[in-house]
Amino acid sequence: MDSSNDEALDIIITNVVATFRTRCHLNLRTIALEGTNVIYKPEVGKVLMKLRKPTITASIWSSGKIICTGATSEDEAKLGARRLARCLQKLGFKVRFSAFKVVNVLAVCSMPFAIHLIDFTKNNRPIASYEPELHPAATYRIKNLKATIQVFSTGSLTVTGPNVQNVATAVEQVYPLLFEVRKPICK
Amino acid sequence: MSTKVCRTCGGFDIDVDQARGSAVCTGCGSVLEDNIIVSEVQFVEGSGGVSSAVGQFISADGPLKGPLLGSGFHTTVGKESRAQTLQSGKRQIQQLGSQLQMNQHCLDTAFNFFRMVVSKHLTRGRKMEHVIAACLYLVCRTEGTPHMLLDLSDLLQVNVYILGKTFLLLARELCINAPAIDPCLYIPRFAHMLDFGRQTHEVTMTALRLVQRMKRDWMHTGRRPSGLCGAALLVAARMHKFRRTVKEVVSVVKVCQNTLRKRLTEFEDTPTSQLTIDEFMRVDLEQECDPPSFTAAQHKAKMQQLEQELTKKLDEVEGEICCYKDEIETELEKSRPKLRGIYAAYAKEIDPEDAEVLSSTSEPEELEIEDAQLQAATQHLTQDFLCQMIHEEEGRDKTTLEDEQESGLEGQQSGPQRHAAPLAVILGNCPSSASLDGPRIFQTLNKSEISEKPHGEALESEELDLDGIDDQEIDKYILNDKEVQVKTALWLKQNAEYLQEQKEKEERIQKEKEQGTYKEKKKYKKREPIKASTAGEAIEKMLEKKKISSKINYDVLRDLNSRGTGSGGCNSPGRAFADPPEPNAPGKRLRRRRSKANEATQDLAVNTATMSKRFRRLISSTSSTSIQKKKKKPTSEGKKSIGMTTESTRAAPEATPVPDPDISSTPAKLAVVEDVEEEEELDVEEECVSALQLVGDYGCEAEEEDTF
Repeated sequence: MDSSNDEALDIIITNVVATFRTRCHLNLRTIALEGTNVIYKPEVGKVLMKLRKPTITASIWSSGKIICTGATSEDEAKLGARRLARCLQKLGFKVRFSAFKVVNVLAVCSMPFAIHLIDFTKNNRPIASYEPELHPAATYRIKNLKATIQVFSTGSLTVTGPNVQNVATAVEQVYPLLFEVRKPICK
Repeated sequence: MSTKVCRTCGGFDIDVDQARGSAVCTGCGSVLEDNIIVSEVQFVEGSGGVSSAVGQFISADGPLKGPLLGSGFHTTVGKESRAQTLQSGKRQIQQLGSQLQMNQHCLDTAFNFFRMVVSKHLTRGRKMEHVIAACLYLVCRTEGTPHMLLDLSDLLQVNVYILGKTFLLLARELCINAPAIDPCLYIPRFAHMLDFGRQTHEVTMTALRLVQRMKRDWMHTGRRPSGLCGAALLVAARMHKFRRTVKEVVSVVKVCQNTLRKRLTEFEDTPTSQLTIDEFMRVDLEQECDPPSFTAAQHKAKMQQLEQELTKKLDEVEGEICCYKDEIETELEKSRPKLRGIYAAYAKEIDPEDAEVLSSTSEPEELEIEDAQLQAATQHLTQDFLCQMIHEEEGRDKTTLEDEQESGLEGQQSGPQRHAAPLAVILGNCPSSASLDGPRIFQTLNKSEISEKPHGEALESEELDLDGIDDQEIDKYILNDKEVQVKTALWLKQNAEYLQEQKEKEERIQKEKEQGTYKEKKKYKKREPIKASTAGEAIEKMLEKKKISSKINYDVLRDLNSRGTGSGGCNSPGRAFADPPEPNAPGKRLRRRRSKANEATQDLAVNTATMSKRFRRLISSTSSTSIQKKKKKPTSEGKKSIGMTTESTRAAPEATPVPDPDISSTPAKLAVVEDVEEEEELDVEEECVSALQLVGDYGCEAEEEDTF
């Protein structure tokens, strides 16, 4: 699937962020005092709860909205979210699991060649932007996929998008562009 | 047009004199119209016999907010808000640009960019100085001047990344493709700052060559150009026998010492570094290098591979070592003094778990460890830690520590047992931190044990699907009562200050309430958008919502409304001719006209009051953020514009005191409903219609000049 390459490119998902709602008001103090692995931040008004099994950190607000980060796949995120809801249920709140949505997926990928960033930016203006004074990577934003790819000169890519499928498509889209401006490895 | 036919003789031949502003029938000679709105440029003789045209220049993107009424003072303020912004922007650009020693051409270009930015409303929500700096930097990039973003941020004392953000946004919005930074641009500037005297030029040339070589060796992608320049200059200086220390270069180039050293090392790795000075100046090596980070990554990968092989080998050896360890343990036990009494029981308990802990620590790459074991192990570890602390406090002797792990664990167990009770209380809350650290200490590779598959995505109901959730595990996440108490105590202690603050705040509010001086924080409720199918309905609904004075006869208003729409229809060609695409524009221009007209009226005082009221209302209405309101603007403005023209045309030609109080009094009452109030002048509307249709907008303006 990766154009002219024989080996497949490994796209490793490093972080999945998801949100859901419990549709009930949560008493943060109760959660803070009765839960393990919990950090309560009263100034901000949220509770951080860390699960171990799918390694997930959840930010819980008193309105019942919860953000889960740290999962490595969409399924894992959902499982973690459900576990969390179950935990809250056990604490005594009438939780309902609703509006689960994966909001952001972060993946890394590595090209087997180095990339000439300046040429890459020149060929793809204005979708790509490169400011060496600010950040060492060139940023390529795909509007219709709503994905952002950060291209480093070593060939590593960081892709963020709303779901895993988009991320994969984004990598496929950008691969031929990168292939054009690759730098042949000399030994 | 009705004027095409003469009223007296019915002839069609009508002579319209633009200069005099009159329409005369050539057949019977009767004057059909007087004071037609004309669009002529008028000249006025100034002092010294200089004649100048009457009028003011108004820019196409005029004041977006209505200038609104009132005296001359008010109008100038309102009209020139944009001009003021541009003026102050220009001033700041000049200031900043002169500090950077930029030439006038660049500053003018920067001002042009700024004007574009302002017209695209990109200055809203951003600090002026950020925007100015971004415009200046944009010019620097397009012109290729050796100014860095860092310089700008230095001058402004602003974080360079914030400036960068603004700059990127502006570049994107203005569709300006700034060419990439070339480190070669900075060399002459830095060389000059490093003070090489007469040989500056040669050093510059050498440094340039070096930078080009670096570029070919792929050292410059993804790096700050200033770092490369620094390294190149350092080497060039040395080549020409100038002694410039790293510190000096760093202060000029504004990078960290480490960065400079890194670049030098990277350059050292390239084959070019092996050439002598003369060779370098003459020869250009063909070979290109990989980017240093690429090679570093490959290096890392190799190291990782080696490590993996090593660990594999280690594993094999591990088994043997384990046996030896066990033997040693048993030996040690025999030799150690036995614990007596109750404590013996504790010691026994710990042993088997110790062994597990040890075995787990000796296998760092174990895949899965039971949670129970983990917890127990970590508990003990934390206990040990605490005991150590206690030990040190009380100066107890520790038992011999031959093998750290084993004896350490066991020996110190004798200590805690004496403090079993108090420790347990303190440790009640420890599991939370310990269990968090657990996985990190043992470096478990967490393969997700998710054999239980979550069911499709078809969980339409909001009920929690309990499949695949291990209740037991969840229970572990919840502390039992004792632990809760302990944690509560700790938490309260920790957050004492915050809770104190909250209490004080409550008390304060209570006191104020008693005193009656409590000011409730104004909670601005989001205004619900009015849903109406016609403009008339919308107005009605708005009237209901907003409480307007009781002195209005709403029935009449409603009638007006219907008539208003009727006349509005016939007025539409005139208006459409004026400015179809932008609903704002006619409102704008007409408002201006209205204001000018008001200046002409005699009852200035009354008018200022009324107009200022309306000014405020309009401001509030225009500044409201709800989009629906803005959408409604066109419809309401339609009415407004009709009304405006009414007033202006009425005021200007007639200038009679009688209708003026009418106009002025009604607006005073109907402060809010501008569009409706205008429509009370029914009879004037026809006139207004015809006037507009005849000449259009410019006529109005010119006529008002007359009455000045």
